[in-house]
Amino acid sequence: MSDPPITPITQNSDSCSAVPPPWAPPVCAGLAASAIGHVVYVPDNPLSHLLAGLSRDYPHIRQTPATREEEAVGIASGLYLGGVRPAVLMQSSGLGNCANAIGSLLVAYQIPVVFVMSVRGDPGEWNCAQVPMGRAVHPILDSLGVPHASVDRPEEAESIVRAICETAFSARVPAACLLPRRLTAGE
Amino acid sequence: MTRSDATACLTRRLRDYAVVVSLGHPAYDLYVAGDRAENFYTWGSMGLTSSIALGLAMARPDRRVVAVDGDGSLLMNLGTLATIGSCRPPNLLIVVWDNQAYGTTGGQPTATARGADLAGAAAAMGLESMTTRTADEFDRALDQVEARRRTTAIVVKVDESAPQGRPPLDCVFIKQRFMAALGVPEGGTQGQTNTVNEPPSP
Repeated sequence: MSDPPITPITQNSDSCSAVPPPWAPPVCAGLAASAIGHVVYVPDNPLSHLLAGLSRDYPHIRQTPATREEEAVGIASGLYLGGVRPAVLMQSSGLGNCANAIGSLLVAYQIPVVFVMSVRGDPGEWNCAQVPMGRAVHPILDSLGVPHASVDRPEEAESIVRAICETAFSARVPAACLLPRRLTAGE
Repeated sequence: MTRSDATACLTRRLRDYAVVVSLGHPAYDLYVAGDRAENFYTWGSMGLTSSIALGLAMARPDRRVVAVDGDGSLLMNLGTLATIGSCRPPNLLIVVWDNQAYGTTGGQPTATARGADLAGAAAAMGLESMTTRTADEFDRALDQVEARRRTTAIVVKVDESAPQGRPPLDCVFIKQRFMAALGVPEGGTQGQTNTVNEPPSP
């Protein structure tokens, strides 16, 4: 199979202006229903649908872009300390950039941060550079003690997001909602 | 001026500030200069002090927030200056103890020992910034921050000094005491869910 064609840099905004993919509105609804007040993110293509959906349907949820996933974890922690429920949106490859922050800040201090991760390197991946880190996503989350669940179908998206948020804020642990390629591919 | 002198100088001015302090010697010195519930001592996550303070400042525009960072720590996450510069919460002050060394790990030189200019970096990212070298200069810089209320970074050139104590090592205690002092207590007792902005009951 040949590589996909190189897409123009405007692809992101084009894909957001149309009808959102079926999984995106329920993920946004799950975050809003769980009283998430601020989203810190490092962008990725599938996440652009969430950012657009949150802006459109839940404008009270603030959005802040971070320069790096580890920084996003720091900002989210500060939000929580100040009484705001935070979520971090990022590509799963960024998990490697923030593993120490999850361990030595979120887990050690029992600071709940909800992660929504678009997954790279899982089945359907075309970019060989993404595959090694893709293999490591579940083991890293498990070894750090971060509960996680994958959204496989749009119909279950809202309930999974709500369940992850419930676990995070009740048990005071970071918890992750994974959006695999088989859900998000084709965008 | 040693870092512990500078810390004492800052502590006298803290009053209602909520403080996030970098792990290692900056946290140890702050504890010795005056432990308070409004101090959030980090024991890990090197580099994230100013980022945590940014999140806190955005969550609590009613509170003044200060990050007490170190040159080595801030260099580990220099990108956060760009984020702080684009958010610019006016209630946020970044204080950087710049001893030009990794003081907690044996004094290896940082890039500031060879001319890297953290106040210049902060200015380039849109923060008010200044470098101070004496206690008087630092005090005047703090006066200026209180008068102007803009997102500011003060880089304080300090000499290394041996810390005389350490904050509590119980991370959850540090967090819960801090959040209670800020008026957003966690449930605290077993079985209670978190009270941070809970969604309304159905």
